[in-house]
Amino acid sequence: MTLLNVENLSVGYKTKKGLLKAVNDVSFSIEQGRSLGFVGESGCGKTTIGMTLMGLLPDNASILQGDIYFNDSNLSNFDDKQWRDFRGREISMIFQAAMNAMNPVIRVDEQIIEAIETHNPEKSKSEINEKVKNLFNLVDIPQDRLKDYPHQYSGGMKQRAIIAMALACNPKLIIADEPTTALDVIVQDQILKEMNKIQKELNTSVVFISHDIAVVADVCEDICVMYGGQIVEKGKREEVFKTPRHPYTKILLESYLSLDSDKNIKVPEIQKAPDLITFTGNCSFAASCNICSKKCKSHTPGWVNMSETHQAFCFEDALNKDNNDR
Amino acid sequence: MTDNEKNPIPVMELKGVSKEYCSKPSFFSRTSTCVIAMNNINLKIRKGEIFGLVGQSGSGKTTTGRLIVKLENPSKGIIKLNGEPVSDIEGKALKAYRSKVQMIFQDPYQSLNPYLSISETIIEPLIVNKIGDDLSREQKVIETLDVVGLSPGREYYNRYPHQLSGGQRQRVAIARAIVLDPEFIVADEPTSMLDATIAIQLFQLLKQIRKKYNMAFLFITHNLAAAKYLCDRIAVIHNGVIVETGSTNVVIKYPQHPYTKKLIETHPGFNF
Repeated sequence: MTLLNVENLSVGYKTKKGLLKAVNDVSFSIEQGRSLGFVGESGCGKTTIGMTLMGLLPDNASILQGDIYFNDSNLSNFDDKQWRDFRGREISMIFQAAMNAMNPVIRVDEQIIEAIETHNPEKSKSEINEKVKNLFNLVDIPQDRLKDYPHQYSGGMKQRAIIAMALACNPKLIIADEPTTALDVIVQDQILKEMNKIQKELNTSVVFISHDIAVVADVCEDICVMYGGQIVEKGKREEVFKTPRHPYTKILLESYLSLDSDKNIKVPEIQKAPDLITFTGNCSFAASCNICSKKCKSHTPGWVNMSETHQAFCFEDALNKDNNDR
Repeated sequence: MTDNEKNPIPVMELKGVSKEYCSKPSFFSRTSTCVIAMNNINLKIRKGEIFGLVGQSGSGKTTTGRLIVKLENPSKGIIKLNGEPVSDIEGKALKAYRSKVQMIFQDPYQSLNPYLSISETIIEPLIVNKIGDDLSREQKVIETLDVVGLSPGREYYNRYPHQLSGGQRQRVAIARAIVLDPEFIVADEPTSMLDATIAIQLFQLLKQIRKKYNMAFLFITHNLAAAKYLCDRIAVIHNGVIVETGSTNVVIKYPQHPYTKKLIETHPGFNF
């Protein structure tokens, strides 16, 4: 069953210099219980997508076009009251800097209780306490740490508590925006395993946003690669990472250093991402693309299908030529 | 026989260096408690070598860097530059030491003064150390900008940090560090704030600089793969103690200490 379906979404920020199109004609969908990862460099629009799905866009931003269907409701014309009721209950979010996402002067358990009380006013105190204990069990925080303040927690524990908070109202979808960026590798590994386990146990869907392709590859079944506000390639992770087709995905994978990388790997040439205020072209990657031709200026690229699930935003003949040349 | 075998004195040597941070006894707690950030660290880094110091947050790797550039002094042990102990130097000698040992910081958004143009940022060390005159300094700045890949240097000369991207800012920080032709550079997680495609270009730049000037580097990182790409030798540090050291390839291929093994195991890879 399709849980979330986003069609031709564009989001713009009004700036002094003009309208900045941070997300440009993006479409994707998520099935119940699956995980979808967004990868791309800073400024490619991945966080803006997360914020749009949560209805948390700042005042100067707006949805320019497109629809967001969640089950049967269209989120793109929700008002503030509808969002307040919806947020946390149906979709919840794990933010980038988890260290700073908690209120330092309120005990951890009370912060979680608050979320449950808001959305389930009919529940009794003891029911809620029971629920919080279960949540802490789920994320492996000992019960005797319930009444602690956030500063008494380590970075990894805070991140676990944030995950517990996100799960508090049994949401159908969790948006995780760089949840492990501030943590070191060992803790990161624990948190990722935790998230995988919970996702399987509760059959929640997850949108995972990260600039680290290896992390996304670890966690997500489906992948969208973004560049300059556009999705350039999407597919199952095996398809996207084992047989990448779009030139940007190839560069991204080539520049990733793994423990088996060779010392003599080729350094990718990448120009600065286009200025999304003045950009009017068809493909945002054209300026740095090694297979760009005249056609890219005059025609809009389309979705080239490699398989039923695997697609790249480019021209078919260019992709084929690129594959033959390598 | 290589240069290093002929010249046994390492550029930078740490001998039994320890660092403790103690809280001062106060009215409410008379006893002072101490945290040991580094415990009996021994390192030798030779000319033209990139040495990696790998560990997780709180392991003492940044403290090591700060002691080497003498932002802080060790509680115990000796630090030697070219065989000369530098523990007690001050005044002129300290200034001379700082011109030979430079640092590149983690966050290029915070380590550059927003009120200084790129040229003013890079020219500052030359003025402080009274090197050259106005004309030769300007020449040197433009040359250095070219070396770090901000070319043509003239074009970046009068820009300000806010006009540059994160990767370009870090290049300016590198230019500022190499403009005095130092013998040793401490690079403290210089790419942890940057995207992978930008990070690898900076690694390439550090390699070029090493080759061109035969400088020695201490590269501080939590990313084993980056250390593998860049470093000749690495040391793995855990809770202030070096648990394993050796040639990078050997350490990563045949890790001995359980902590090193764990670091390698948890390194995200494409295991699906």
